[in-house]
Amino acid sequence: MSTIAETAPRRQTRRRMRVDGWRWGGRIFLVFMLFYTALPMIWMLLTSIKSGFAAMQFPPQWWPDEPTLASYQKLLDPQNSVGQDFLRFFWNSLFVSTATTILSVIVAVPAAYAFSRFRFPGRNFLFFAVLLRNMFPAVIFLVPLFILMRMLGLVNTHGSLILTYLTFGLPLAIWLLKGFYDNIPVQLEQAARIDGATRFQAFILIVMPLSTPGIIATAIYSFIGAWNEYIYAYTFLSKNEQLTLPVGIQRFFSENTTDFPGLMAASFMMSVPVVVLFLVLQRYFVRALTEGAVKH
Amino acid sequence: MTIVTGKAEARRRLQSGWSGVLWKMWEHRADYAYVLPAIAVMLIVIAYPIYYTIELSFFKTPPGLQLRDKIYVGFDNYTNILTSPVFWKVTWNTMIWTLASTFISFVLGFGSALALHRDFIGRGVLRAILIIPWVISAVAASYIWKWIYHSDFGVIGAVLVGLGWADRPPNFIDNVSTVLPSLIVVNIWREFPFAMIMMMAGLQTVPEQLLSAAKVDGASAWQRFWHVTFPHLSSVSTVTILLLAVANFNSFIIPWIMTGGGPSNASHIWITHIYELAFGRQLWGVASAYSVLLFLILMTLGYFYVRALSGNERKEGRA
Repeated sequence: MSTIAETAPRRQTRRRMRVDGWRWGGRIFLVFMLFYTALPMIWMLLTSIKSGFAAMQFPPQWWPDEPTLASYQKLLDPQNSVGQDFLRFFWNSLFVSTATTILSVIVAVPAAYAFSRFRFPGRNFLFFAVLLRNMFPAVIFLVPLFILMRMLGLVNTHGSLILTYLTFGLPLAIWLLKGFYDNIPVQLEQAARIDGATRFQAFILIVMPLSTPGIIATAIYSFIGAWNEYIYAYTFLSKNEQLTLPVGIQRFFSENTTDFPGLMAASFMMSVPVVVLFLVLQRYFVRALTEGAVKH
Repeated sequence: MTIVTGKAEARRRLQSGWSGVLWKMWEHRADYAYVLPAIAVMLIVIAYPIYYTIELSFFKTPPGLQLRDKIYVGFDNYTNILTSPVFWKVTWNTMIWTLASTFISFVLGFGSALALHRDFIGRGVLRAILIIPWVISAVAASYIWKWIYHSDFGVIGAVLVGLGWADRPPNFIDNVSTVLPSLIVVNIWREFPFAMIMMMAGLQTVPEQLLSAAKVDGASAWQRFWHVTFPHLSSVSTVTILLLAVANFNSFIIPWIMTGGGPSNASHIWITHIYELAFGRQLWGVASAYSVLLFLILMTLGYFYVRALSGNERKEGRA
């Protein structure tokens, strides 16, 4: 709320400022960053619309002589084996990521609420224990988790991935949401409870709607994390029909090492869902970070 | 602030010591229900693996994951690691990788956040483009850059030859001296947007009145930045740098997909090395001992992380 009010006068003061070296430095820097960020992605797109032969030329065709969508057609065609695999990997990724996202919201919301509102013994300890999860790399947990999943009978199932991914998203989710709940006045809930609502009703009717941006941010974070995860999927899954996209693509292109247009097309298609999702919802994410995590 | 009833507060003051804590826990028994699912998941997926890794690090294990046949060897795994030259090579690589990636990502991200802070046409679009690499999967990023670095058909090599700066396309990732910097460039590409988002969020919390006041008092742009903006960002900077450092220390995908640690260990960092020891050479005990060492290092970093975060908490409490 207050940020919107603050930007209006800021714009005016900025405009009155003389053009100075800092400003030009900033512009040149942004142009440099734009090139650094965008050129690799543009090259990926350009390569993906070349034929296999056109991609393997030196010097390269800066703009493809004969642009073709053959690589995309191949990947999206359920008739041939490449397309079949790709679509299946895509579907697997979608399933695992969606399940992870729903579960992490269900688990993180009450936890963050409790960390924000209640003062139970061990609160700080538990809160930081949850945050510490972020500190440890996947590899440390890989061997024991593999054995654990074998005991639970979850190896080669998507359940093993969902359970593991849940813990990636949770620390940041809880942290973000806690910041959100901290900023929602307790008086709102108290007023609702005086009017006869139970704590649960007050939570569902008052607190939840106010924290929607935080929940959306949490959901995006979990989804992207699960969609892009590689190392657990690489270790836990071995059956071809269960692979998620990152592993599936890696398996596939370790066998077809020279099909760079196909590889670039696959990379592009793998990125589209998360990039679109993020771009559509990014303002929630930045707002959640501002209001939840940073502003105190 | 808190929803603690007066009665409970009074009881808490009356009772102190161990029985007081137990009583308090009983008083708050319903609160634990809210955090229970989160804690349960964490316990299964974290506490047990940590315990198991520590146990395994004192054993020698035969290949094939027949873990029942493990042999107790005491601290042998640790002494073997610390005396092997590969360990020091990999440690050195990890240090360069972590420090360079963290520092440059932070500087580029902070710079972008500052440059994007003032309004101009196309600001939203530019911000969105700069964030995209962070969202793209690391596997996709690795393949994109692998293609860009390709020794025969790579676009960078072609540009260098075209400009006359090289006779033939350089081989970036099969060369012992260029492989690590090349991979760091990829890592920064994926990582600086995170620093940018964090710092953008941080910049919004700098009070505008202070900046105006400093301006009225005749402070230059640099002085305003250094004396007003920067001090306000110290805690978010600390958290960002620590998160970046941890993420970089733990990175795996980019070196694994692009080079697999080669050529001759030049791009092996701790995590890829541990992975290779465990899943490539089936040396579970040694890999576990590596993990425990890693763990100790990370705990040290984690200590500072928690301190930076609880610094925030304390400020919040005062406000």
